[in-house]
Amino acid sequence: MPQTTIYYDNKIVRNFAWATVLWGIVGMLVGVLIAVQLFMPEANLNTEYTTYGRIRPLHTNAVIFAFVGNAIFMGVYYSLQRLLKTRMWSDALSQINFWGWQLIIVAAAISLPLGYTTSKEYAELEWPIDIAITLMWVVFGLNMIMTILNRREQHMYVAIWFYIATFVTVAVLHIVNSFELPLTLFKSYSFYAGVQDALVQWWYGHNAVAFFLTTPYLGMMYYFMPKAANRPVYSYRLSIIHFWSLIFIYIWAGPHHLLYSSLPDWAQSLGVVFSIMLIAPSWGGMINGLLTLRGVWDKVRVDPVLKMMVVAVTGYGMATFEGPMHSLKSVNALSHFTDWIPAHVHVGTLAWNGMFTFAILYYIIPRIFRTELYSLRLANMHFWLSTIGLVFWVVAMYWSGITQGLMWKQFTAEGTLQYPNFLETVLQVIPMYMVRALGGTIYLIGALIMAYNLIRTAASGSLISDEPALVPQRDTNEHEAVSWHRRLEGKPALFTVLVTLAVLIGGIVEFMPAFLVKSNVPTLASVKPYTPLELHGRDVYIKEGCVGCHSQMIRPFRSETERYGEYSKAGEFVYDHPFLWGSKRTGPDLHRIGGKYQDSWHYNHMMVPESMSPGSIMPAYPWLVENIIDTSLTSDMVAAMRTLGVPYSSQTVNDASLLLNEQALQITERLKKDGISTHSHSEMVALIAYLQRLGIDIRQTTTTQIITP
Amino acid sequence: MILNLLTPNTMTQRRDELTNHDYDGIQEYDNDLPPWWVFLFYLTFVFALIYLLNYHVFQTAPSQSQEYAMEMEAARVELAAYEASAAGQLPISFMEKETDLEAGKQIYSKNCVPCHGPDGGGTVGPNLTDQYYLHGNTAEDYFKVISNGVPEKGMIPWNNTLSRREILQVASYIQNRLHGTTPAQPKEPQGTLHDKSISMLSKKPKMNAN
Repeated sequence: MPQTTIYYDNKIVRNFAWATVLWGIVGMLVGVLIAVQLFMPEANLNTEYTTYGRIRPLHTNAVIFAFVGNAIFMGVYYSLQRLLKTRMWSDALSQINFWGWQLIIVAAAISLPLGYTTSKEYAELEWPIDIAITLMWVVFGLNMIMTILNRREQHMYVAIWFYIATFVTVAVLHIVNSFELPLTLFKSYSFYAGVQDALVQWWYGHNAVAFFLTTPYLGMMYYFMPKAANRPVYSYRLSIIHFWSLIFIYIWAGPHHLLYSSLPDWAQSLGVVFSIMLIAPSWGGMINGLLTLRGVWDKVRVDPVLKMMVVAVTGYGMATFEGPMHSLKSVNALSHFTDWIPAHVHVGTLAWNGMFTFAILYYIIPRIFRTELYSLRLANMHFWLSTIGLVFWVVAMYWSGITQGLMWKQFTAEGTLQYPNFLETVLQVIPMYMVRALGGTIYLIGALIMAYNLIRTAASGSLISDEPALVPQRDTNEHEAVSWHRRLEGKPALFTVLVTLAVLIGGIVEFMPAFLVKSNVPTLASVKPYTPLELHGRDVYIKEGCVGCHSQMIRPFRSETERYGEYSKAGEFVYDHPFLWGSKRTGPDLHRIGGKYQDSWHYNHMMVPESMSPGSIMPAYPWLVENIIDTSLTSDMVAAMRTLGVPYSSQTVNDASLLLNEQALQITERLKKDGISTHSHSEMVALIAYLQRLGIDIRQTTTTQIITP
Repeated sequence: MILNLLTPNTMTQRRDELTNHDYDGIQEYDNDLPPWWVFLFYLTFVFALIYLLNYHVFQTAPSQSQEYAMEMEAARVELAAYEASAAGQLPISFMEKETDLEAGKQIYSKNCVPCHGPDGGGTVGPNLTDQYYLHGNTAEDYFKVISNGVPEKGMIPWNNTLSRREILQVASYIQNRLHGTTPAQPKEPQGTLHDKSISMLSKKPKMNAN
């Protein structure tokens, strides 16, 4: 067979590798900072730019899209070339992909602390950045697909199936969830409202976990694990079955993030059953990885690459068993909104994503620099620090999560809540927050040691920018009778079409009825659109990231209705662009906070939370009285909402400023009576207006008007 | 076709036979799926089917609103039983026992301090130490105000969060321990003077604005 010499592009792999290391450390550092803020609020450095609500999304975006994102590109660019025996199709596109992605990360790192956020979890970046992400993703996909079409291998290996699924699905998720109406260059409103926005968001959020944190890593596992172990993959058949079942079933499971919420029961049930059916496909990946190591377990004991892979894959198996368990209503009733959820998430991220990324780095860097790892001892030390840090982190949060869940639900014999004051349940878990921060710090120290080790490794060798490989000409003939799937592996276009179909079905089946069938969101006559001032207040609430700690979703449990009031109804959220249900209660739910306290209580609480709630870990927001809302936008905001379907009259649009001034003056007057003077256009006044409005419309509704499906 | 792959056949089960695949040196075994894994997969299908039938076809399991109604009903029954019992029939009167007053103090410091101050001198809420009362000074008055709150003035109802006993404990603490002391920064008097000697000669109530 005629052979030719080709050159693999290692430079792009190196670039992504260093970016992975750099952003990983930055992301983890921000993680440690916000972990400290949860027991020491003054660690917000007393600026609005470094306060929890704004930099919690910075942490999640940095570790997901910067650390893991760059790691995906690193792993894909390295393995794809070798699996297809061809260089990346276009070096220019590779470079654009690299620099474009870094620019997006920088844009995120600047815009999030400034408060430019959509508030939708893991999709916080504003619309211009959303467009940039779309473009860069297309650049990546185009480069990958063209490389696949120019391959010298007849068939695509299982790793590439996962890469294709990643590309297609992330594109679909990102575009559908980012439908938003721009107000200004840095501000937009979600196209969807309330229940529908929640459904789309958690279809996105859940599948971002699936197709950004899972499928690309499974693909990389299928390349790097057998390579590092030098063992054949355990079962080709298992690869086929678990690949297709995983991508098909994953898409349906999003609603498990919304159990016992205002989402219709049928959608919740689909989320439950598809989550349970996801156990086997997920474990298929785990066992195919772990069983590949049969016969080399002695190597696992000494090789840090394999060691980290084993912990990573085991963590994947644990997290993908726990996830479906959380999807059972009885477990979810206790675990939702508690620290149990971040514990679950961090088993996945710290073990599966973090440690697998470290393993790949330890694998790739010595190879592309044609040298030996600088220090095996340091790598082993890193392994132990990661593992111990992980254990500290998650055990602390399991403990605090279950403690919170039980305390929130505990009743006395006299029929009242045992811990009526939410703060008591917070104070109880603060020691666990300290342990969590310690665990995170240990994990970060491990990553710093790795960075040192890798830099020394690179310095001791020299980069093989264009690595030569002797490859055969493309052989397009099937030499034997092959199965249908084997033939499919040689047809990338058809393969991609089938993947697209598999991932679209679940979303379509869940979205269509929720959008088209009226009875899914019963309207409530008494629920009215927000006033112009309240809209501004809502934007302040979004900007400050209040949703990071406070839910707006009272679940139908006695323990919640006793604590917060009537449980939340779907019809109450029809004007919420975006929805703000939240996913975590570090503080209490706020859906019925309206009218509960006086304006001055909120003022005092926002200025010095401890004055109203002694021991509170909420940071102070003194800048709210100094920052002035932009009233030149008021009319446009109302008009934008009107475009999105909120029934404002044109009169309201025109008189928006007048209405705003009127309400602002009322609040300022009330504050004055309590001895507080404040600018009537301060963010504080707008935020108070919004908070006082929350959840009160339904009080004018008699119970018979509430229709439940 | 998928089903063929999903059916492990013990008679023909292959063990560690390599396929002819070779990708950058990676080989693949043609092993069958582990039978326990296939069993688990089928089991989850059965679970899903039963679950959906149970909730949405035969509706033998309650919807979430029905579940809530059931939970509330169970609590109502339980509470009625408790109230019928001796422990549930606490008379509304001030308590004297040291343990009750200490418990009242704990409840006060956890819940009342933000508005009434640590020493009862009043901040957002009125002074609790002086002789002036907005809503009367009997045990019943205390009980009513704490239970139902004064929503128009910003005091929230506590009957959902504090038990009957706890409300009486905190009321007793206020009446027997805070009342009559001199706070550091007393808020100006509000309401009606209720002095034992001159309680009938009350001043015109000096109501707070709103």
